[in-house]
Amino acid sequence: MSLLKSFNNFPALNTANILLVENEEQFQQSLANALVEAADAIVNVRLAKSLPVPTKNEESRPRIDLVVFIINLTSELSFESTEASLKYLDCGYFLGKVCFMLTNARNASIPPERLDAVRKLASLLHCPLLFAEDQTPDGVTNAAERLLTILKVAAGHVPMTTALYMSILTQCTVLPDIDQPSFD
Amino acid sequence: MDDTTKRLLHRLIRRTSTEMLKTTLGKWGRLTMAQRQSLDFTQSKSALTEELLTLCEKNGWTVKNVAELEMIHVIDNPNQGMWHAYRLMDPEDDACSVELTQFKERFKTHLSEVVRHVSVKTKKHTDEAVWIRIAWGDTFSRPNHLKPTYVVYHLQTPYVFVTSLTSKQKPLLSQALILSTRYQGFKDANLSGRKLTAIRDLLMKQYPLVFPTNFSSPVAEKDQTMSNPCIIKEQDGLEAKRLQMARGAFGDGVLPQLESAVYKLETKFKDQTNRIMTEREEPFRCVVKFTSTNLLESFRQCAASGIVSPPITPLFSSIPLKGKNYFALKDKTLGSSP
Repeated sequence: MSLLKSFNNFPALNTANILLVENEEQFQQSLANALVEAADAIVNVRLAKSLPVPTKNEESRPRIDLVVFIINLTSELSFESTEASLKYLDCGYFLGKVCFMLTNARNASIPPERLDAVRKLASLLHCPLLFAEDQTPDGVTNAAERLLTILKVAAGHVPMTTALYMSILTQCTVLPDIDQPSFD
Repeated sequence: MDDTTKRLLHRLIRRTSTEMLKTTLGKWGRLTMAQRQSLDFTQSKSALTEELLTLCEKNGWTVKNVAELEMIHVIDNPNQGMWHAYRLMDPEDDACSVELTQFKERFKTHLSEVVRHVSVKTKKHTDEAVWIRIAWGDTFSRPNHLKPTYVVYHLQTPYVFVTSLTSKQKPLLSQALILSTRYQGFKDANLSGRKLTAIRDLLMKQYPLVFPTNFSSPVAEKDQTMSNPCIIKEQDGLEAKRLQMARGAFGDGVLPQLESAVYKLETKFKDQTNRIMTEREEPFRCVVKFTSTNLLESFRQCAASGIVSPPITPLFSSIPLKGKNYFALKDKTLGSSP
């Protein structure tokens, strides 16, 4: 089992690498296809069920520019698995190279506390929180495009900006009244 | 023609679709050719009902005739109502030599011995199943044809499927069945569902079965179709393992369509963080129910897609293995502290 480090490899020319972590391994497959199709640079996608990633791929693994945790809001297990995986990530990643992607957030049957918990987690780690629609092909391409925008910056393809700078603008913030009882 | 006949016919027509009604009436064979041709099946349901009721009056059909029509309809559409499976226990020596006419006769006599007013109708279906329709009455009332019990018994097997049986009638039916099939016991098989064919297949193991082994099956050829060089799985092999596990528990053929599984727990509450509940003397009672249009298929999908973490609990895999969908769970050592 190996700890992911943000600077343990050299970057390759015109290449961006993204790691998708999802406990259920459903959405990541379609998202990976959409990412590879939509990109104009070379995008390498690595898929994982959870972190840590196995050591045997250590040599072949490129420098990961962006780690995306996909959380299915209907499943508690998905959230717990993400929380456990976060411990195996080098702290350098949290300077703008991690983001969370939520699916099924429109589902009416999910408890509102779960969304709050994910929000708190994201704001604690200063990471952006994206919402995606995983059922329709349009939603998948849309999600892929949004990820590519972040990935380009994180991989250093955009001049004059860095992941850390962008994360200041995109990170999730929790409203101060999230702990207050709501009146609805 | 009395009121019951009318109501029975009326209810039957209301429940049946028009095409279904046409074939059912054809199979019934109590309408003359001219009458059958004069019926206009394109008109509305209420007009059709009126027409059939007048025909009923004219031909002088009795309750028994209409009950037969209902029986034909139920045999053709067995997937209505809740079916419960029962198992006959301890066969006697001549249990396997009981044949149809003998069984019919014995069943009728034994049942009418214990209940005075009862109307029994039996019919043999094509697939070796005997269908029995019982309209129950008691000492003072005529048999109620509006609430019949249907019993499906496969000759020379210990399985009986019953729908709409009240607890009052259960001992009567069980006694008649035991005596006429030469068995000694009658037990609930803890299996129920809306689809008769599904629970029959599950209990009689008439679906693609898989035998539990501890050895991994020969490795299936990897499909190279997916291989986009840019997409790499970090933890490969997990998926293959999951698929194999799901196949091991549920097989890979078509599974019987079961709708629900119920687990009744009477175990001790175990949670280190909740001391009040853990230290309680009496067991923690609760009922867990899983429902789906095709439960076994959903369990297999859950296991194969990784929504549930491996391994599959024996509680799920024992549904097809034991042919049960109602489980009562108890602690093995009740009373001892964990």
